[in-house]
Amino acid sequence: MKALRIKIKIAFIICCFSPGLKAQGLSALKPDHAVLQYAGSIGYVSVGLGYDLFKKKRGSLEFNYGYVPEDKGGTLHIASTKFAYRPWQIKIKEFATVYPVNPGVFFSYHFGKQFDIAFDREQYGKSYYGWSTAIRGHISLSNEIKLYTGEKKSVTLYSEFNTSDLYLASMFFKNNRKWLSPQDIVKLGIGLKVGF
Amino acid sequence: MKITLYFLIIVFFSSCELMEYSPNQVFDNNTPQDINKKNLERLFNTPADDTIRFVLTGDSQRAYKNAEDMVAVVNKRAGIDFVFLAGDISDFGLLGEMEWVNQIFSNLKMPYIGVVGNHDLVANGQKVYTRMYGPMNFCFTYQGVKFVCHNTNSREVNFSGTVPSISWLKKELTPTEDIKSFVAVAHVPPTSIDFDKNLQQEYIKTVNSCPTLAALYAHNHSEEIRYEEQIPYLVTNAIVKRQFMLVEIINGKLTYESIAY
Repeated sequence: MKALRIKIKIAFIICCFSPGLKAQGLSALKPDHAVLQYAGSIGYVSVGLGYDLFKKKRGSLEFNYGYVPEDKGGTLHIASTKFAYRPWQIKIKEFATVYPVNPGVFFSYHFGKQFDIAFDREQYGKSYYGWSTAIRGHISLSNEIKLYTGEKKSVTLYSEFNTSDLYLASMFFKNNRKWLSPQDIVKLGIGLKVGF
Repeated sequence: MKITLYFLIIVFFSSCELMEYSPNQVFDNNTPQDINKKNLERLFNTPADDTIRFVLTGDSQRAYKNAEDMVAVVNKRAGIDFVFLAGDISDFGLLGEMEWVNQIFSNLKMPYIGVVGNHDLVANGQKVYTRMYGPMNFCFTYQGVKFVCHNTNSREVNFSGTVPSISWLKKELTPTEDIKSFVAVAHVPPTSIDFDKNLQQEYIKTVNSCPTLAALYAHNHSEEIRYEEQIPYLVTNAIVKRQFMLVEIINGKLTYESIAY
């Protein structure tokens, strides 16, 4: 378990610093945008780098590091990986594109000894608690406005709604839909992307 | 124009409760603090009669609708002084869960007291519980009866021999002039496999070493009544099973009944 955790950390660090690798053949690793986000379940603030995927940049993949300071409910360190797809786009003349509804998924990993990928079997036996405290799965819906600032350069503002696996497990538990409603479990983040 | 509108929407949303930093955050802007302390102050400021009457319940764990139904049932009964929510307030140790349960239990006409359960200690749960409710081991005296609430979630510390704290219990379960009798309250009963086996005998001995009226627990998700040297060890059914226990102390005598709803 510890080895896996270290591997995840290494993979994350490599993802973060990959643009620094100037060696030939690694240019494909050069990210397409940088991102700064407030809230959205992956940190008080989070920063990251992302790649465009598919034709017409309809998909994106991002790697983020988020931080929650102690006076905001932390201290928490969170790594996250986000995937989003942009099925619709509305062009506003030459200067902007609006992506109104972008479904996505993301995973967050919480660092710290109180968070585990899986519960320790020696301590708890089989199937005592059946979930991971370190890894959360999220589904998301975001909307974006992309402003073109130059050739290949852009600034994007976005908001992203998400809910996580454990919140869904709460809402769809027994008769809870009579008490919990989607607005109880949907959370929001806002952010800024700089394309280059 | 569209951009202005977009910004207004962002400003609107950023000001409301939707902004979450992490499901594991310890608190948000609206998280209550010291619930047990505040609710005990409320209890002491309410005129009392000569009967102590309280509800023993536990394991609210995600059963929000059932918890709400229980609050309605308890509110209809007259003369209940307070409610013990004896652990597993949350299922995943998340802030959101404890806030939801507190929202439901705040609708009780009488104060409630939250005791820590094993599920409340997973992930960041211990920090969330202690900030919202207070210390995991605490006592209060009501009409001459000392209620000793404590952490018995031994498995969460991998049976290290520190939970439950026998030394703390010995100190608190010492009779004084004003205290006629005791009631012990915790989450995991000493007969459970989640209770530290090495501490079981000494724990029961300690609880029984003073004029204890009863020891009260939850955790099992089924009702259990057993006697250790004539002292009742009562385990309430879970909120998820829609059953709780009503306990009465009159003239130093403790009686109980279970109520299904």
